[in-house]
Amino acid sequence: MTDAEAGRGTLAEGRARHLTLRPHRASGLARARGRAGVLLTVPALVIVLVLLVLPIGQAAYYSMTNWDGLTAQWVGPQTYLDLFESQTFWRVLENNGLLLLALPVAVFIPLVIAAMLHEHVWGWKVFRSLIFLPTAISWVVIGIVAMQVFAANGSVNGLLGALGLKSLEINFLGFEYSALGAVAATFIWSMVGTNTIIFLTGMSTIDPAIYEAARLDGAGRVRTFRHITLPLLKRYFQFGFVITTITAFTALFSLIFIMTEGGPGYGTTTLEFFVYQQAFAIGAFGTGAMVGIVLLVLIFGVNLLQMRILRVRD
Amino acid sequence: MATSVEYGDRQVAGGGAGAPASTPAASRPPRPSRWRRVRRDPGAVGIFLGLIVISGIMLYPFGFMILNSLRTETQYLSGRGFSLASWQILFGSLPVGDELLNSMLICVGAIAIILCCASAAGFAFAKLGFRGQGLLFFGIIGCMMIPVQSIIIPEYVNLANVHLINNYLAPILVYAALGLPFATFLMTVFFRGLPEELVEAALCDGMGYIGLFWRVGVRMAAPAFATIAVLQFIQIWDDLLVALLLLQEPTNRTITVGLGVLSSGHEVSVPALMAGSLVSALPAILVYLFFQRYLVSGLTMGVNR
Repeated sequence: MTDAEAGRGTLAEGRARHLTLRPHRASGLARARGRAGVLLTVPALVIVLVLLVLPIGQAAYYSMTNWDGLTAQWVGPQTYLDLFESQTFWRVLENNGLLLLALPVAVFIPLVIAAMLHEHVWGWKVFRSLIFLPTAISWVVIGIVAMQVFAANGSVNGLLGALGLKSLEINFLGFEYSALGAVAATFIWSMVGTNTIIFLTGMSTIDPAIYEAARLDGAGRVRTFRHITLPLLKRYFQFGFVITTITAFTALFSLIFIMTEGGPGYGTTTLEFFVYQQAFAIGAFGTGAMVGIVLLVLIFGVNLLQMRILRVRD
Repeated sequence: MATSVEYGDRQVAGGGAGAPASTPAASRPPRPSRWRRVRRDPGAVGIFLGLIVISGIMLYPFGFMILNSLRTETQYLSGRGFSLASWQILFGSLPVGDELLNSMLICVGAIAIILCCASAAGFAFAKLGFRGQGLLFFGIIGCMMIPVQSIIIPEYVNLANVHLINNYLAPILVYAALGLPFATFLMTVFFRGLPEELVEAALCDGMGYIGLFWRVGVRMAAPAFATIAVLQFIQIWDDLLVALLLLQEPTNRTITVGLGVLSSGHEVSVPALMAGSLVSALPAILVYLFFQRYLVSGLTMGVNR
C-alpha cells in the first residue's frame, strides 16, 4: 500500500464516522483505540522531533548567523548570497555535478549484470551472492583498498602498464580531476551490488509467459531485453536512480575522508564533505549548517522529481 | 510482503512454502539435461563466463586484503613472500577487541530503540486509527529524506550541551533517530498485512489495544524485525561520521572509526591496514551471509513507497 492510500484510508474513516448516527463523541471503544494509537506513536515521534526535526530548525536558523559553535550573531539571508558568490562553493558544487556523470554508468552496469543473472545459468545464485557481497562492507574499508588500487604503484597503473599504455600511468589521487575520477569509479563499483539486486528483484516480477511468447516469436536475448524487460522495469529503474543519486550526494563522506580528505585542493570536496570541513576543520559552524541546508534542499528536490515522474506515468 | 519471496527467483503464483514437496516429477514437462541445454544455447556459456569475470572484479578487494595482510611492508612492495607480522602490528597499534565491543554495543542499543519505537508506531499507524494520523505518518516517513550531514552540526552542539559527547548514548540515539523513519515505514507496511479478523478476535478475548500490540503484533513481527535489524546493523557498523564526531576518546571508538583514524594517520603499514580492514569487515560479512535474504527484502521495500 502506498502513502497516498494510507492518507485516503484515514480520510474515509473520518467520513464514515460522521455518517454513522452516533452522538457527538465517539464510542468508548473507538476512544480507547485512538488513545492507544497516540500512546504507541509517542516514543517514535519524540525521537524524530528532538533528534531530526529540531536540528533541522536549528541548522536553518544558524545558517543565517556567524555561528562558531559557542556564540552566534544574526546576519540574515545575506549569508546565502555570500555563499552563492564564493568561488569555493561553486568548485564544490562542480564536484557534485561531475559525480552526476557517473550515475548512468552506475545504473547501466548493474542493469546488464541483473539481466545476465536473470538468465538463470548454472550457478547463478552463487554469482548473485558474490556480486552482492560488497554491500556489506564499509566505505572506510572500500576506501582503504581503493587508495592502494589507485596509488602510483597500484593495480590500475599496473594494468595500464601491462596493456602497453605506460604513458597513461599517473598518480590518480595526486591530481584534482583524476582523484575525483578515482572516487567516482570506486562509487560505481560500490553501487553494483545494490542496483543489481534492485533490478533483479524487478525482473523476477515479470511473468515468464511473456518471455516464452517472445521466444516463440523468435526474439533473441537482446531484443527481449530491450523491448520487454526494460519497459516493465520502469519503477525499479527510477528507484535505482534515486538511490544512486542520494548515495552519491550523501553517503560518500567516509570514502572521501579515507581516499583524499577532499583534496588535492578542493578536487574531491563534495557538498557533504564541505559541511564537515567547514564546521569541524575550520570552525565555521554557521557556514557548515548552511551547506547542510543546501544539501537538504537538493535531496528534497530529487525526491520530489521522482514522485512527480511517478505520478505522471501512473 | 517481500520477505517471503526469494529475490530474483521467478515468483510463481500459488507456489511457495505451502506447496507440497512431493509433487510427482512426471507432472512437470521433462527438463532437458543441463549439458544439452548448454549445447543448444552457446549464449548461456558466454553469460556464465561473463559472470565469473564480474564476480572476480567484485571479489578483488577481498583477495587484495587477505593476500596483502599476510605480508610485511617490504614484502608488500616487492609482492613476494608471506608473514604474519602485520597482524601483530595491527593488534599492537589498535585496541581491536575493545573497538569491536564498542561497535557491538552501539549497534545493539540503537537497533533495540529502533525496533521498540518503530513497531509501536507502525502498529498504531496500521491498526489503530486516530486523529491526525495521516499527517503524522507522512511527517515521520518524510524524515527519511534528511541527510545526516544536514543535522550533524546542531546535533553535535546539542549533545555537547547536555554533556553526552564521548558517551555511548550519543551515537546510539543519533543512529536510532536516523534509522527510525524507514523502520517505521517498514513496520507499518508489515502490520497492514495482518488480517483485521485477528485484531477483532483478540479484542473479543478481552485484550486491550496495548495488549493486542504486545501479544499479537510483536509476536508476529519477527520477519520484519529481522529485516530492520540486519539493515541497520550493517549501516551502523559501517558508519564513520557520527561515531567519529560523537566518540572522540581513543578508548571508546568503534572499529570503523578506529580503522579510519588509523588510515588517515599514515602511521602503520599498508598490510597492517589490510588486516584491520578484514577485522572490521568480518562481522558485517557474517551477518550478510546468514541473513542475506532479510537485507535484500529491506533494500527493495523502498521500491513501493
